[in-house]
This record gives sequence, structure tokens and C-alpha cells, in this order.
Amino acid sequence: MSLLIPEKISLSSASSSPGRCPFPTAEYPEVEILDAKTREKLCFLDKVEPHATIAEIKNLFTKTHPQWYPARQSLRLDPKGKSLKDEDVLQKLPVGTTATLYFRDLGAQISWVTVFLTEYAGPLFIYLLFYFRVPFIYGHKYDFTSSRHTVVHLACICHSFHYVKRLLETLFVHRFSHGTMPLRNIFKNCTYYWGFAAWMAYYINHPLYTPPTYGAQQVKLALAIFVICQLGNFSIHMALRDLRPAGSKTRKIPYPTKNPFTWLFLLVSCPNYTYEVGSWIGFAIMTQCLPVALFSLVGFTQMTIWAKGKHRSYLKEFRDYPPLRMPIIPFLL
Amino acid sequence: MAAAAAATAAAKGNGGGGGRAGAGDASGTRKKKGPGPLATAYLVIYNVVMTAGWLVIAVGLVRAYLAKGSYHSLYYSIEKPLKFFQTGALLEILHCAIGIVPSSVVLTSFQVMSRVFLIWAVTHSVKEVQSEDSVLLFVIAWTITEIIRYSFYTFSLLNHLPYLIKWARYTLFIVLYPMGVSGELLTIYAALPFVRQAGLYSISLPNKYNFSFDYYAFLILIMISYIPIFPQLYFHMIHQRRKILSHTEEHKKFE
Repeated sequence: MSLLIPEKISLSSASSSPGRCPFPTAEYPEVEILDAKTREKLCFLDKVEPHATIAEIKNLFTKTHPQWYPARQSLRLDPKGKSLKDEDVLQKLPVGTTATLYFRDLGAQISWVTVFLTEYAGPLFIYLLFYFRVPFIYGHKYDFTSSRHTVVHLACICHSFHYVKRLLETLFVHRFSHGTMPLRNIFKNCTYYWGFAAWMAYYINHPLYTPPTYGAQQVKLALAIFVICQLGNFSIHMALRDLRPAGSKTRKIPYPTKNPFTWLFLLVSCPNYTYEVGSWIGFAIMTQCLPVALFSLVGFTQMTIWAKGKHRSYLKEFRDYPPLRMPIIPFLL
Repeated sequence: MAAAAAATAAAKGNGGGGGRAGAGDASGTRKKKGPGPLATAYLVIYNVVMTAGWLVIAVGLVRAYLAKGSYHSLYYSIEKPLKFFQTGALLEILHCAIGIVPSSVVLTSFQVMSRVFLIWAVTHSVKEVQSEDSVLLFVIAWTITEIIRYSFYTFSLLNHLPYLIKWARYTLFIVLYPMGVSGELLTIYAALPFVRQAGLYSISLPNKYNFSFDYYAFLILIMISYIPIFPQLYFHMIHQRRKILSHTEEHKKFE
């Protein structure tokens, strides 16, 4: 391969663009990056390894535009098309010797782990503020008093356990496909989790709280539902973790394992969501508190949307996907 | 804000009766798909009926004013058609949901529900405010806005939009918005003492659902929400006005 001096210079050809790519000229595939909206030439890379991945190209692009770190770059072949994956190899894409990629700024990004930890730590802490009847929530004569109802103490244990479990799973169990999400999500998500936690906790720990109509029977049944669903949810998280080796982003069809809780995979694509809804229904029955029921309903709605999306992508990706499975509720939804 | 939201949603090429608005609907790049012939026919009928309905309300107001000799307590003369046609606008949410109108379900829901809320949860529920002048203020604002909006959609669907209608929709809001918002806020404010007194729509502890709701506080929150929401909607409309009316001016130059 001879080293020709091409007509194109290695600096960005758009006079207005400040991008200066410091690569010597050579006969390698060239990559030009244009803004997806304005079509402005942002960067021109003219010595790119053919087997370079999109991730590597993103790193090169960051060098000329440091404010756009790789996590906030979306590169695609078509301005309105889908984002290319980091693992995609340049050579394998349908491009000529000059690849034209379109760039979209995804906005400031924040890591999934950070978001999860923040949104789960909040409810844990906030609920306890109400449980211990910290001043300025209820009347002053109730400051730091304790409820006389057993179910209120039980509810605190269950709620706290739930969020501790979530925090631990975030740190040690989950294997995330994406590293980051848009920054504004943390505000949205925290408002949702923290807001509902405060709203529920206010009533359950209120001095005028009314215990469940059917007494201990109701509480025992609800507790059983809650515990079973928590175990189920955890089992599914572990099963999903084992599907994917550490550091990889592979996707496989999940199947039931020896653990009976995972047998729900026979009927449902996202049994983790099924069990999660079940847990909250249990908690609602236990506390007989309307805000808890509303929280369960909203959560169910959101998880159904996610489950349907996941189910659809499973169906698209795997020809041999088990036909009996529904997204979230066996046989129904 | 119900007034503001309605006109804004309308400006985004959105809202109940709008099909493809044709020339001048400057909402950037959009697929020129539009509803099918059956849906178009239905939407034309819907928008004509709504235009007629709000005209009935307008005429009703004028006749009542002439008969009474004053502008006080005119609400009673148009109460029924107002309730009927404003509530009927709930269909617009359905239109978005089934896709015959290219607007956001969320935005349309917000707009229609806020109107329906004013009509039923405030004016109808708190009888004492029905004789307030503030009610007339928002009814007039809504009536003029809706007559223009629904005729705009009718003409757009028929691909024959007179410039006057487009101008009216994107100009009169400048006065009608603040007028409507003032009427709405004053009405809610007038309702407050009666809500407090009667404990309307409120539930307090203890009760077996461990839930409480204070409608009085809720209404105050609603009033406060006007502060961030109204300016946004208003300035969006101003922005749309500049885009759409100047766009047409340029088009006319080339004709």
C-alpha cells in the first residue's frame, strides 16, 4: 500500500468548523462526522483503522470536541436512523471508503449506577423520617413517638428491606447494558420515588393510622405475598445476571432454572416485574393504604410498558422465542 | 390556563379537530400523512358541530345580555350548551389516541381536562360562584377562542384556510389568553371559602383507607401552577405567531 498524498487535507474542510484532527494523511478508510441536524462538518478522520469500532471513533471525536465525551455521542449512518452500537466495526458497516456518520448530542449523561443508588437511598431514608416521627411532620405532641400498631413496625421493616435489597442489587447483582442515561432522568426519577415514599410513609406512620380491617389475618397473608414476591424478584435478578458474563453486553433468552421462583419464565418474559408488582400489592394489602395502592398502580403501568418493550425486542431478536410467554401477566398482558 | 393551553395546543397543529393544516402550519418537518377520507369527513363534521356549538353559546350570551340589560349572571343562560360542548371536547383526546389527529395525547388531555375541571369541579360544584363576573370573563374568552379554533380546523381539513382565520387564531390570543386566565383564577379564588366551609370533595383522617385529601389546598396548588405554566404557553404562542404569520407573508410575496 503506497502512501499517497490525497487531495483532501487532514484538517476539517468546513471553514467554520473548529475541528482539527491531528492525523497524518494515508490511504485508510476516512470518516467524516456531520451534525445530524445542521449537516455541518464537525470532524474529518482520515487515518482510521478498518477494524476500528464505533467506540474508538467516538474517542477520536472527543479529542477534537472534548465537551462531547463518548457517552453523550450518538453516531448513526442516517441522520434520522438508529444509533450505531459501540461494538460495531467500521469495516462491517455499509459505508464506502469515506464513511459519513451523523452525530447527535444526547445531552449530559449520568451513570445508571449513580441514578439507581440515589433514587433508592431516598425512599429508605425518607420513610424512616416518618417512622420515627421526626419533628414538623405530625403535631408536636407526636414528636419521636412510636405507633402502637404492630403492622406499622412490620411495614417499616418491609419497606426498608425492599430498598436495601434494591441498593445491594444495584451494587452487586445487576449487569447494565448501558453505562449512562440522560442527566435529567435523575431529577424525574428521584421526584417519583422520593415523592411517593414520602406520601405513603406519611399515612402509614400517622398517629391516626387505621390498621387493616381484617386484622392479623390480613397482615399475615399480605406479608406472605410480599416475602414470596421479594424472593421471586431476587431469584429472577440472579438468573438474569447469570445469563450475562461480567463486562459483556450479550443478550440471551432467559429460561427457568432449578430455582422454583424462576419457573415463572415459562409464562412471562419479565417475571422480575411480575414479582415487583406482587410485592407492592402485598404491601398495599398489609397497610390498607390507598396511596400505596396508587403507587402500585403507577408502577404497574410503567413496568407493563417496559415489559412489552422487552418482550417485543426478544421476539424480534430470537426466532425461537417461546410462544406461550406474555410480557408481564401470565396469559393476560 | 385552560384557555392558554387550548390555544397553544391548537397552535402546535394539534387539538381536537385539526387534521393536516396545510400551508402555514409551521411545526417544522413533519410527515404529510394526514387522516384517511372517512376520518377526514368525521373530523370535518366534528369541527363544524363544535363551531356551531360555541356560536350557540356566543349568541346565547348576547341575547341574555340584551334581555337582562346587564352582564351579570349570564352564566345561567348558557350553562347547558357550555357544559355540553366543552365536555364534548373530551373526544379530542380520543382523536389523538387513535391517530386521526397528529397531536400529543398528553398535551391534549391536559388542555381538555383543565377546561372540564373548571366547568365541573369548580363552577358547577360551587354554586355560589356561578353569579360571579369572573365566570363571564373566561366564558367569553373560551367562546371566541373556540369559535376561531374549530373553524380553523374545519377550513384546514378542507384545504381552504382563509388568511383571516389564521390571523385571528394567532393574534387574538394575545388578549384572550390573559383574559381567560384571569377569569379562571378569579373564579377558583372566589370558590375557596365555600369549599373550605362545606369540606367539598375532601376526606380527612382517620378512615379505613388511610388517605386524606384537602380540596381547598388542591385548588390553591392549581392556582400556583398557573405561575410557571401560563408564561410558557403564552410565549410559545407568541413564538408560533412570528413563525407562522411571517412565513405566510413570504409565501404571499412569491405568489
